[in-house]
Amino acid sequence: MGRREQARIEAAFMRGDTGVDGGATEEETRDEAEIERDKAREQLLRGRAYLGREFLTWLLWRSESGDALVDFEGTGLVVLYTGRCTLRGVNGDVTELMARGALAPYSEQVKHSMDRGLLVHQARWRLTHGEKVYEVTLDAEFLDIRAAKLPELMAEEEDDRLLERLYLTEQLSKMVDALVQAFLEVRASRNWSKKAVPAMKRWMKGEDEAPRATKVQLARAARG
Amino acid sequence: MPVLSGAVTFSRFRSEPAGNAPSDKKRWLSKGLKSGAFEPIDLKKTEDERAAGFVELENHDSVEFSTGAILYGDYALFGFRVDTVKVPAAVLKAELDKWATAFEKQNGRQPTRGEKAENRASLRHMLRQRAVPSTKVHDVSWNLQTQQVQIWAASRKQVEEILLALEQAFEVKLQPLVPAAMAARSGIKDEELVPTPELIGMEISHNEIPSSEVAHGEA
Repeated sequence: MGRREQARIEAAFMRGDTGVDGGATEEETRDEAEIERDKAREQLLRGRAYLGREFLTWLLWRSESGDALVDFEGTGLVVLYTGRCTLRGVNGDVTELMARGALAPYSEQVKHSMDRGLLVHQARWRLTHGEKVYEVTLDAEFLDIRAAKLPELMAEEEDDRLLERLYLTEQLSKMVDALVQAFLEVRASRNWSKKAVPAMKRWMKGEDEAPRATKVQLARAARG
Repeated sequence: MPVLSGAVTFSRFRSEPAGNAPSDKKRWLSKGLKSGAFEPIDLKKTEDERAAGFVELENHDSVEFSTGAILYGDYALFGFRVDTVKVPAAVLKAELDKWATAFEKQNGRQPTRGEKAENRASLRHMLRQRAVPSTKVHDVSWNLQTQQVQIWAASRKQVEEILLALEQAFEVKLQPLVPAAMAARSGIKDEELVPTPELIGMEISHNEIPSSEVAHGEA
């Protein structure tokens, strides 16, 4: 056997086209849709990203009323989903869907998609806390703060402005944590499967309006 | 320097000491930063294409880390500098072609593969000496009171690298502030947090979910 032929055989083995016996390896039998679904499933379970998606979806449902969702440092925190919203799912032909538009996250199309198993994976929020307004984009897997807009800085001295900016970023981070904590409290309770999920499903189907937060819920969330 | 101005994009962590909490925080900070300090690529001595490490926030060439340079109120602020030196493939190819043409003219034949390979290595070395490293600095803010750590980088790969550097330098564990980690800290059992079938449209059992230990790169 010539050197070139030997090299060709070795290259085929390294590519995985042939096995140690020189015969062809088994072909990929899964179709494209199946590969896509497996990938989507892996993304859903990695680091329990599904919890982040359920959180963003639950919050979308809760935020539609426009009421304060948690009490943060003595003042109600209002969340509004704005602009672009990405949905992801594992069951069905569509594994990712992007909705654009000022109120796209609350649209019937998005609710219908959620009813079919797609959950919010990335969203942009406007957070109103007293007179301060923040904007931020969050994704379900890492809950990283992206492209955030902070309230206008009040300090004039450069050093003070830096500390104020850091304070505001940390406040924003704490607000996200307070909302996650409120979600986890509901998520780990019996009410999740008995009340919250059926109500969310009715809302997705357009049968119910989003709930109004009660004082008891606000107080409980604040303690979380 | 995004911490000072510009886009607000960062990853969020909470620092937990791996051993005993440091008694002298200033000394601990300075020592930690110095242990992972940035060292520039020495083009004459090494073939490394990349160098990374901690630098001061307001002077990316300084690794002194005096208290005044890193402490801002309750915060420790510093940068993570990444330098890369790369010889563009197109430039190397053009130089090699130029050399091959000159070789053919001089010797009346084309260079052999071996001769080309040998020359490619010396050309790469020469071009590398002339190259200017590209520099990127990612800020880190660490609230020493609340133990909140913010890594100001958009790329997840970069965040992971800085995370490991911080954990090694300061002997701490940085926990991502994601629902899974927060639930674990609140004492919520894994079994109570399986995916909700009505929402995701399928049943996934507890056994099918990878361990709840939130590892870097998987958070």
